[in-house]
Amino acid sequence: MLEADRLTFSHPGAAQRYELTFAAAPGEITAVSGQSGSGKSTLLDLIAGFLAPSGGTLTLDGTDLILLPPEARPVSILFQSETLFEHLSAGHNLALGLPRGTPRDETSRRIAAALAEVGLPGIEAQRASTLSGGEKQRVALARTLLRNKPVLLLDEPFSALDDSTRATVRELVRDLTERHRWITMLVSHHADDIEALAARRYRLEDGRLALA
Amino acid sequence: MNPSLPRRPLRLVAGATLALAIAALVAIVLASILRSATGAAESRVDIWRLIVMTTTQAALSTVLSLIVGIALAWALNRLRFPGRDFIVGLFASAIVTPGLIIAFGLLAVWGRSGWVNEASLWLAGQPLEVPLFGLGGIVAAHVILDASFAARILLARLDAIPEARLKMGQSLGLSAFRRFTIIDWPMLGPTLPGLASIIFLLAFTSFPVVLLLGGGPANQTLEVAIFAAVRLDFDLAGAVQLALVQIAICSAIILATAAFAPVSAATARSRPPRWRDSGPVRALQWLILAIGLAGFALPLLAILLDGIGPSLIDLAVRPSFWRAVATSLAIGAGSATLTLLLALVIGMARAATASRTARTLIGAPAYTYLAVPAVVLSLGAFLTVRDMGILPEMAAPIVVLIANALLALPFALATLAPPLEAIATSRGRLIRSLGLDSWSQFREVEWPLIGRDAGVVVALSFCFSLGDLGVIALFGTEDFTTLPLAMYRALGAYRTNDAATIAALMLLLTIAAFVLLPKLFARLTDARS
Repeated sequence: MLEADRLTFSHPGAAQRYELTFAAAPGEITAVSGQSGSGKSTLLDLIAGFLAPSGGTLTLDGTDLILLPPEARPVSILFQSETLFEHLSAGHNLALGLPRGTPRDETSRRIAAALAEVGLPGIEAQRASTLSGGEKQRVALARTLLRNKPVLLLDEPFSALDDSTRATVRELVRDLTERHRWITMLVSHHADDIEALAARRYRLEDGRLALA
Repeated sequence: MNPSLPRRPLRLVAGATLALAIAALVAIVLASILRSATGAAESRVDIWRLIVMTTTQAALSTVLSLIVGIALAWALNRLRFPGRDFIVGLFASAIVTPGLIIAFGLLAVWGRSGWVNEASLWLAGQPLEVPLFGLGGIVAAHVILDASFAARILLARLDAIPEARLKMGQSLGLSAFRRFTIIDWPMLGPTLPGLASIIFLLAFTSFPVVLLLGGGPANQTLEVAIFAAVRLDFDLAGAVQLALVQIAICSAIILATAAFAPVSAATARSRPPRWRDSGPVRALQWLILAIGLAGFALPLLAILLDGIGPSLIDLAVRPSFWRAVATSLAIGAGSATLTLLLALVIGMARAATASRTARTLIGAPAYTYLAVPAVVLSLGAFLTVRDMGILPEMAAPIVVLIANALLALPFALATLAPPLEAIATSRGRLIRSLGLDSWSQFREVEWPLIGRDAGVVVALSFCFSLGDLGVIALFGTEDFTTLPLAMYRALGAYRTNDAATIAALMLLLTIAAFVLLPKLFARLTDARS
């Protein structure tokens, strides 16, 4: 379980104070909704370690995460854009998800398997900038598979996709979450995304999370 | 006609007339040079050797400036400390710091009687022989100036890396090397060819640095050779030939520059996550910053410390000194005002039309001055007034004022035209629907929005003019002298203390103008908005 208990934070110079309490379970998608500026991305930044809370706890299966730097946290993130380095090939982007020093043939084999799992076999050599929005998100999900981290944070990941691609990527996220027992946290202001995916729903208002 | 743009025929006519007048002036100057070339006697100037020397020093200056500039930008992008903004501002001021001052500052630190030699004598009992005159000194001065300028431009690119991209890289645990190659380099790479062309052009047309640190004919560049041909050898034919070569090469560089991605100093900053590198990498960043600061700030500090002393009182009692101060300030203020007016009229005319061809035609004459360096423009003006039967010393004040304004015009137009065009595009519909006339549009909409940019233009033009030696070098007389010329003459007469004091005064004036004028204009316009 990923759990936060009165995780407290204020942006410097801002009046808004966040005090966040939630729980998210493996194998299911926990959604957080809220108005623009309500602090949904701040919540993900706190979980990922980009922001340091002033109080409270954040644990994964009882282990404290707060002192870990972003790169050491058991977390993968997917944004609406900037999911891949556009000037690199799909394969090179995926390789960044593997530990340094992984042998070349093992790297190739694991990249091919991850791409096959997200339904994009054989596109290793294709430059990321030539991929469609949906393909980019799927390649980023493939990288998440390689990183093998138990927590997946999704920051409006479907917003830039058209309706049919959106449905495909949504299904892929649900499928991967269930199959790999990820703890997936989805931040979105699209009610239909939340409706389609979330097993547990929170609403963020006035700096606090409430079960919806 | 774009229906969202307000109809401003008078603006178009005014801009087109000004563009024509500027083009005519270029044509007259070039015609004078060409006429002198065809009627001139044989010259013994070795053009090929000059081209090789000029190109060599410019190429070396460019490569080293880019390497140092990238390292400085990298260090400044990563490090966070109190006073960081001040240091970034210090590097930004390199674009207006006169080359003469940096060259003199280098002598104050590394020269025979400089700080380093005195320290070496005191510590080791013998001087440290640093070969400051010649190619090494020229390149060092250019690198100090141009690497600081490059660092400011490249830092703006690094500061604009999207927050999400940095977060992705940080969560992937990229090493410092991979962060640079995967995240930083794609932002820096496209800017480098254009930046390299600009630095090459600046170094190729550099005049005061080569004049002061060249150390003799062996290290002359085209620009200095033109000056020497007119003022020292009275070889007008040689000067004209060199000017034509200089114009041809500069035009080729500008055409090449136009093919590259534009270099923007826009400071759209993302909110970077806190991503600290490892201890050894941070130590390297601090070291780079310390060396960069020492390289740029030490010469300036030396000028201030050496210049503000008893010789200030000696100078203050000489009327010639005050005449030079008054002339410099008058020409600086006059040319800055003229530059602002020209850039506003041309910029507003460009913004009044949606036609790309019309915009290019109206703007192009102003940019031709990039291809005509100061000494060449000065030579053309010198020949023109002489052909008209006017004594150069009679025409000097007006020629120097206009020439300095025109030399700053490309930079002024590059600063003011984009915001004016953006205002016309984004607010044109509203301006039309409200029925604002041209003056109301300027007073109520444009001026409040471009106030700070106008301040930057005035500061740039004032500082360029204050540090100019290229134009005044051919027109200056005993009675018509500016501070840079007075400083050059003081050095020529071995009055080093006087030169140090004048350099300190110029530096203080430059810093004051660069810092205060944009703030003053922003404040004036804020009060109106």
